Amino acid sequence: MIVDWIADNAARIGELTAWHAVLSVIPTVLGLLIAIPLAWWASRSARFYPLIVGASGLLYTVPSIALFVLLPQLLGTKILDPLNVVVALTVYSVALLVRVIADGLASVPHDTVQAATAMGYRPWQRLLHVELPVAVPAIGGGLRVAVVSNVSIVTMAALLGIPQLGSLFTEGFSLRLTLPIVVGIVLCLVLSVVLDVLVHAGTRALTPWQQKAETA
Amino acid sequence: MITFEHVSKVYPDGTHAVHDLTFDAPNGRLTVLVGPSGCGKTTSMRMINRLIDPTEGVVSLDGQDTRSVDAIDLRRKIGYVIQSAGLFPHRTVVDNVAALPRLLGAGKKEARSRALELLAKVGLDERYARRYPYQLSGGQQQRVGVARALATDPPFLLMDEPFSAVDPVVRTQLQDSFLQLQRDIGKTIVMVTHDIDEALKLGDQVAVFREGGTLAQVATPAELLAHPADAFVADFVGASRGYRALGFVEATATVELADEVTVRVGARPADVVGDAWCVVVDDADAPLGWVDLRAARDVVEERQIDFSGTVARADGSLRDLLDAALSSPTGRGLVAGPGGRLRGSVTADEVLRHIAREREAGVAS
Repeated sequence: MIVDWIADNAARIGELTAWHAVLSVIPTVLGLLIAIPLAWWASRSARFYPLIVGASGLLYTVPSIALFVLLPQLLGTKILDPLNVVVALTVYSVALLVRVIADGLASVPHDTVQAATAMGYRPWQRLLHVELPVAVPAIGGGLRVAVVSNVSIVTMAALLGIPQLGSLFTEGFSLRLTLPIVVGIVLCLVLSVVLDVLVHAGTRALTPWQQKAETA
Repeated sequence: MITFEHVSKVYPDGTHAVHDLTFDAPNGRLTVLVGPSGCGKTTSMRMINRLIDPTEGVVSLDGQDTRSVDAIDLRRKIGYVIQSAGLFPHRTVVDNVAALPRLLGAGKKEARSRALELLAKVGLDERYARRYPYQLSGGQQQRVGVARALATDPPFLLMDEPFSAVDPVVRTQLQDSFLQLQRDIGKTIVMVTHDIDEALKLGDQVAVFREGGTLAQVATPAELLAHPADAFVADFVGASRGYRALGFVEATATVELADEVTVRVGARPADVVGDAWCVVVDDADAPLGWVDLRAARDVVEERQIDFSGTVARADGSLRDLLDAALSSPTGRGLVAGPGGRLRGSVTADEVLRHIAREREAGVAS
């Protein structure tokens, strides 16, 4: 019976999983791109660090459901537009990543930064060629948290009727069926693990220069 | 030439890091800034590539005020070596050296092949080229740091305590190989150190700083030892100045060498005139040490050689000659010519007589 249900709905489950992955990954990437300049600014200024890191951290405390409802009014989008979810999750990703990246940039050895400056690297060249690459292990750690957190928060969008694995929860609830809920939970977990492993593998691939003792 | 004209640096809290500094670092020469910690030597050096801007005065490179050029362009003309090397941990050794040429638009292949040449020049084996900085020793990292600073062949080089973070044996190796390199490349160098011996060894010119960021004396090492400007410099330069100053006086042909009887390992010594000591030489006639013939009745064996005496080069310094004499078991210091062949021996008395003769000649002229 379980197998039957899954077989009957395989195409749709696949579609929901794909949507779920897209809605989790795109905001993580956008969040990273927005967080990097903010974090750079924060790491360079003792005065702005608490302000930027504090304010971005505060964003994470805004309840997701409130954000989903508020955003259409702010952005002028329709309530069912997936863009709302993307924007909301990007906000959360920024909230999680700014501190991690700022601290990662600040932990780049002072000598290395000084050498780059003295060699004639422009500030943005130094960021791109030296500071960011050296901060990759820290940034990778933050990305893993952000992407897994997004996989979890995306499910809330089901309440607005935006299709992804969370839709299985609302369906199961309204049809009083446990099976879709269980399938949804398991697939969320699997997706989290897969994305986490991918980010981790990416981080490792980008840091062949790390001492083995440190990556273990 | 790097020129400081009435340069001062005052921090917002009123600290005078550098006060009214005026001196030149001539082209092709190594100028060492030396002094106790907090004397402003590092601040002064960093004003050359504008990591720090002076409050007053002008720093110029070959006559051009450094403030009239873009700081980034300025820095790209000036190589920079720091104490802990400051290598890029995420780049291999060869890519550390190639980093700046690549940034300035050089092709990957071209930049790497030039980097490999430079690594060979600073004495780092090619097998280290593909390693990451953490896989190198401190001394090797420092060699990479020097190669990286030379990557774009800049006319100027700044070195901030470049040999301080390694043990004394490695430090001596790095200093010697750097001196060799500088003879070859002839850069205009400003180096900072707190170690007066390093300053005297490496510098063509030494600028002694005192606390409060003022210049106490700028002079050649020999001049600094022979004529310290004041009590502070004398004290800072330290003890044994007379003996150390001999290190800067070349032995001339007027030092009289005595002939020595020689013998090879495994050979039967000839009859010796005088005392019972005789010089043991190898197949190329290079001196190994002394043997006491009272102990070597038959043939000379290696275990009978006394290796305690140092061997001075005929074109070495008076200090080398004196040391050879003082360390010799016979009181006769061994002197070798080019190629290492034994030239003869010299006594401490002869070295001192030579010094006295030179002094009289100096007074007379």
